[in-house]
Amino acid sequence: MNQILIVDDSPTIRRMVKASLAALSGGCEFVEAASGLEAIERLAIGPVELMVLDLNMPDMHGLEVLGFVRSHSKYRQVPVIILTTRGDEASRVAALEAGATAYMTKPFAPGSLATKARELLEAAAP
Amino acid sequence: MSDQRSDQYILFTVAGTTYAVPSSQIAHVDLVDEITRVPNAAPFVDGVVFSRGQIIPAINMRARFGFERAPIDLRTRFLVVNTGGRSVGLLVDACREFLRIDPSAIHPPTDVLGGSGESYVAGIATTSSRMIVILNLDQLLASNDPILAA
Amino acid sequence: MTEFLDTFLDDYFAECDEHLTAVRRTLLALESSVGQPRPDPAVTEELFRAFHSLKGIAGMVEHREIELLAHEMETYLRAVREGDVRLTTAGVDTLIDAARLLEHAIAARRNRQPPVDVESLVLELRQIAPAGDSAPGAVAVAPPTDAGSWQCLFTPSAELIARGVNVDMVRARLRAVGEIVSAAPVVGEGGGIAFRFVFQGEPAAADVEAWRADGMVCSRVEQETVPAAVPAVPADRGASTLSSGHYVRVDLARLDDLMRMIGDLVIRRARLGDAVARVESHVPSSDWRAIQENTSALERQLRELRDGVMRVRLVPVGEIFRRVPFVVRDLARETGKRVAVDISGQTTEIDKFLVERMLDPVLHVVRNAVSHGLETVEERVAAGKAPEGTITLAASAAGEIVTIQIADDGRGIDVDRVIARARVAGLPVPAHVDEAALLELISSPGFSTRDASDRVSGRGFGMAVVRTTVQDLGGSMRLASAPGQGTRFTFELPLTLAITDALLARVGTQTFAVPQAAVREVIELDAASIQALEGGEIIQYRAAPAPVVRLSGVLGIPVPAAQERLHAFVVGAGAGAVVLVVDRIVGQREIVVRSTSDPLIRVDGIAGATDLGDGRAVLILDAVALARHARGGWGAAPRVRETA
Repeated sequence: MNQILIVDDSPTIRRMVKASLAALSGGCEFVEAASGLEAIERLAIGPVELMVLDLNMPDMHGLEVLGFVRSHSKYRQVPVIILTTRGDEASRVAALEAGATAYMTKPFAPGSLATKARELLEAAAP
Repeated sequence: MSDQRSDQYILFTVAGTTYAVPSSQIAHVDLVDEITRVPNAAPFVDGVVFSRGQIIPAINMRARFGFERAPIDLRTRFLVVNTGGRSVGLLVDACREFLRIDPSAIHPPTDVLGGSGESYVAGIATTSSRMIVILNLDQLLASNDPILAA
Repeated sequence: MTEFLDTFLDDYFAECDEHLTAVRRTLLALESSVGQPRPDPAVTEELFRAFHSLKGIAGMVEHREIELLAHEMETYLRAVREGDVRLTTAGVDTLIDAARLLEHAIAARRNRQPPVDVESLVLELRQIAPAGDSAPGAVAVAPPTDAGSWQCLFTPSAELIARGVNVDMVRARLRAVGEIVSAAPVVGEGGGIAFRFVFQGEPAAADVEAWRADGMVCSRVEQETVPAAVPAVPADRGASTLSSGHYVRVDLARLDDLMRMIGDLVIRRARLGDAVARVESHVPSSDWRAIQENTSALERQLRELRDGVMRVRLVPVGEIFRRVPFVVRDLARETGKRVAVDISGQTTEIDKFLVERMLDPVLHVVRNAVSHGLETVEERVAAGKAPEGTITLAASAAGEIVTIQIADDGRGIDVDRVIARARVAGLPVPAHVDEAALLELISSPGFSTRDASDRVSGRGFGMAVVRTTVQDLGGSMRLASAPGQGTRFTFELPLTLAITDALLARVGTQTFAVPQAAVREVIELDAASIQALEGGEIIQYRAAPAPVVRLSGVLGIPVPAAQERLHAFVVGAGAGAVVLVVDRIVGQREIVVRSTSDPLIRVDGIAGATDLGDGRAVLILDAVALARHARGGWGAAPRVRETA
């Protein structure tokens, strides 16, 4: 059962991401975090097969979270999809440079997010 | 105007004329229950009905269209409609059909009726066998004046 | 895609509300920072985050105009936060205007109206954003305090999280005892993750000890090793208001469903009670006791359940009050008056439905107070009053009643002017106009103090609508006023709405319910003792004549045959008593009040409807409204003091 960690400070957006990914085949369990610190805590507690990460969060910027994740041998391989806001090209580039596996611009089409998630999960599975 | 996503309508008859309302606006159709009279309400309001936990005003559609009331019989139906946040019940002579009406079969009311624009009519549909008056519920429920029969 | 988005609209609007509440609160706080070299960073940060979040979710549901407006507001706030622009009164004004437009835009979407045009405000915001004075780019640093510096290392674990101890909770704990300076994840040897918090404060030694069991190791640090404060991004703000916590977001419709189900249960229990009572004679007394005890317990538990669910719907009255300072501020500016607002009792709780319905009436009364009640600065000084007028809002609860008072220390109501205007409007003016009569006059439809130039109190929402709203909610209004001293409106509202004790009365072939709270007494009388007087009827009640209202007449119900003995219930007391005559009072019941607010069935004298369990609707009478029919027909109340 794949564990997907959804990180965004907006409960509405977390729900939307969850709903977009709910139909992934093989079933998934969702873990939510509303801030950077919570996201890292969740990572520390249990295995995570995919992370959907918002950039602008109140305590730690998404890039900092990503930086931390990528610098840790245990989590270096976790696929991370970054959610960026429309028109924020600079963040997109910075995210890719910091090690994001993929990015999606908000508003995102649920189908696209699901497709990308499936791709990444299948690529990682042995 | 009718909801473009669905061409489904519920048909009912009042004093010989067939009317239609988009099925998306219908909550349910019941046999007539006890109608509790509300004093000093508009003349075409028969009263209220307690239906599925809600108090619903009952409009006598014969009276609304200017006809004499008829005794309630086995075919009389209570049509509960939802529109603009309100739930209202229409007491009609009979109500049995669902019909899909293609938008192309609907003529705008101004083509057919006179200029005074009975705005509660959203359109007139013609099928091979009959004419159906499609109602604009919001308009019908907005005005309290009885509509005079043509 | 739109169908997908539609399922999230409720969440979206709920989240918008939360952010808007934060915006309202912090905007006012921001205003007091105008002119200071640097506005409070915590305030600007919170505002910035609110606009940013609104922009994000509006973008997700494709509400472009809201996204755009929030974006400009966020941009301006960022410039303020980073010192590129100095905050001015004009800037705050623009922000307040923009916030108001944002509210309208969201409301328009919520009500499926066409999207609001935000162009002009967007341009205004762009104009004030980049080109302002640039203050030197100093970084905001939390001022050093005398409190000690502490470090806390928190190591999370699955077991701790299962107990509810997570990093967010630890953060909240530390924030409660001090100011968090930094928070960052650290990696230990072996690869484990922990969180290092640095904060300034003085935690109690007992707490520090107890927290070890929760994975928190706290120790004091030397001042020099405290890292520099994170510039302008206080680590202790933000997250928690919206993070997964101890609160559940509930759709009000679901609560309504729950209430309806409980209402049905109440009725079912009442029917059970009736049925059980009927079989008492057939049941051996030993068994009967058990049945009695259980039905009593059931009634009690149902009541508790009902109260419990009702309490879930309770929200603080402060939600209404929060809007008042804005309204007063604008109005004071427009009229050139100086007004202070004094609020107390904001935490008093009341049903959410009541809060929503009372917002407009409260704002209307406040606007009236500022426009008409309060004098100008010159007038006040000339009268020996403080130049600044005060609007006082107070809320309190006692038992099942919530009281909201709105008062001003202005000129009081000009009774003569009211009487004159009433006469012009053709309203009946009693010989002696006391405060109750005054309230009656100014709340009458057709009476309006709106002048052509007085657009601020107008908007078609007169005192008449205030009164109707309060009555609809089962509440009452009182007025107190003294010339030169001020005016006070008192609203009394039921804490919760739905279930009430009622008497059942039969009039002709129809049964009605009358809320017990409105009934002073139930009496039986001889038809012969009713006497005609001046087009009405009176009867001797407690040694004084009291007007009689036959409900059969008012409700237009034919009475089958003249009865010798009639039942009646008495409404009001003393000189205000009115005897409402029915055929028979047939019982007493706990009823669930259901709304009859649809315009088709809104009639004077009917307060709602209920059902008695047999599927039929029963109308609930508004006894107080019906009693007024007596006044109208009969003229002045019995004991009249002649005025000079």
